[in-house]
Amino acid sequence: MRRLYLSATAAFWLLVTAFWAGSWWWPAADERAAVITDRMIAPAELARHALPEDCWMAIRGHVHDVSAYLPEHPSRPSVVLPWCGREATEAYDTKNKGRPHSAQADELLARYRIGTLLVDKPR
Amino acid sequence: MPTLSIVRWLSIPLLVLAATAGPVYWAFPEGLSAARSLGIVLGWAGCGLLLASLLLMLRETWLSRWLGGLERMYQWHHRAGMAAYVLLLAHPLVLAADAWPDSPLLAWQTLSPFSQGWAVGLGWLSLLLLMLGLAATFATRLPYRIWRWLHVSLGIGVLLGLWHLLQLGIEEPVLPILGLASLFLGWRLLGEDFGLAARPYLVQAAAPVADGIVEISLKPLAEPIAAAAGQFVLVAFFAGPTFRGCGEFHPFTVSSMAADHAIRVGVKALGDCTRRIQAIEPGVLARVHGAFGTFLADRPAAAQLWVAGGIGITPFLALLRAAQVSQPTTLVYLYRTESDAAFLSELRELAERDPLLSLQALASGNEPPNLDSFLPAQGQLAGVECYLCGPPGMVAAVRQALRRRGITARHIHFENFGFR
Repeated sequence: MRRLYLSATAAFWLLVTAFWAGSWWWPAADERAAVITDRMIAPAELARHALPEDCWMAIRGHVHDVSAYLPEHPSRPSVVLPWCGREATEAYDTKNKGRPHSAQADELLARYRIGTLLVDKPR
Repeated sequence: MPTLSIVRWLSIPLLVLAATAGPVYWAFPEGLSAARSLGIVLGWAGCGLLLASLLLMLRETWLSRWLGGLERMYQWHHRAGMAAYVLLLAHPLVLAADAWPDSPLLAWQTLSPFSQGWAVGLGWLSLLLLMLGLAATFATRLPYRIWRWLHVSLGIGVLLGLWHLLQLGIEEPVLPILGLASLFLGWRLLGEDFGLAARPYLVQAAAPVADGIVEISLKPLAEPIAAAAGQFVLVAFFAGPTFRGCGEFHPFTVSSMAADHAIRVGVKALGDCTRRIQAIEPGVLARVHGAFGTFLADRPAAAQLWVAGGIGITPFLALLRAAQVSQPTTLVYLYRTESDAAFLSELRELAERDPLLSLQALASGNEPPNLDSFLPAQGQLAGVECYLCGPPGMVAAVRQALRRRGITARHIHFENFGFR
């Protein structure tokens, strides 16, 4: 059993090192975020996408179609689904105990961006 | 474990399987990529295995009876813990591998303890504590006291791992698992390590019986434990008039049970604590937990071969002190020198009085004993039940020699005494 412990631990650190090295050798930025068709989306249109299978959220002024990502989100659905079709910046920035999502989550979110939220100008 | 019923034999594997499959079934991901699903399943399976491992570290007489003995529970405690560790190491790696095709940078950010806040940081801390605790588990040369506290880091690692899940916003099925894990850890710590589940005893007498071996007589101060010949108890010795015990629970075989419920245990100086116990005196307070073990229980009526090495003589002595044997029995007692041979003169007297008992006392010196000089030939061992108790090296060598003589594992009974 000691041998299993040593080999599993060594393999773990070897692979962690490989992932770290990989991030340096292939720093290719995800380009999908850069080719977004930046269209303007009105709050009414946003509100029409409030279902688990068709879920848009407005976060920090951008609208994201997160339908494909929802099954992968680690939180239970009851935490995330109520924000479909809504402005969800506050929820996004106060994930648990008031802490915002990580930079990695920001990067992931950018991949699902489909446009900018049209904000009504005050009259 | 040939004497265990099939149900008892299957009890621990089924328990481990249920503990592993339960959380996996409950939290099985749907609609995710194969790699991400695998990563999640590995995490839940590791979590369930850790829970089973925690249950198997409890030293409760009723639980050990259900699960086929404390020794077997400890074997599976180690197996389940080790399997959990391997699965939990793989868990973040597989999740990172899932992100690799998209971007190696994203894969590293999935894995890195610094890029995802508390949730992933706690997962890392949990893994590092498991790593440290297991490293200490294998460092058997560490003094027991230090070893034990390093082993505690495993329990903290389990709790941090569950907190990692809560930080991810996953409450089901984490809260019931967290509740059970806290219950098992608290039960073990308060009931067993701090001795609340043990019974109070007082040292009545103590007599050296060989070099570095003392036999201690303990009188119950409240309800006595129920012990049978061949079983062992966990005893912690505390303070007396001038003696200061180390207060740690160590396993000792019961060498005698009196009608007034007083018990005797043989203590060999094997470490710091047991070395200190050699100077014990009457009036020392002790706490006794047990009794455990099924080593000499349910012995069949067939002829028997008992092989004892050093302090391993005590379970056989307890049996012989309790009553004469009821089947032809050969007791082979191995020791280094006469001064190391505890209870030898008493055993000779018992053998003289018991027509079915034959005693072979052999001094092997500092060399390993020549097994062929005392083990009967293959033909003489047919139908004989063999019971072995002594240092692990001796037990392993005698088992091999018996197997070479055609004795099947079913007829070879032994008990290891290691609880690390």
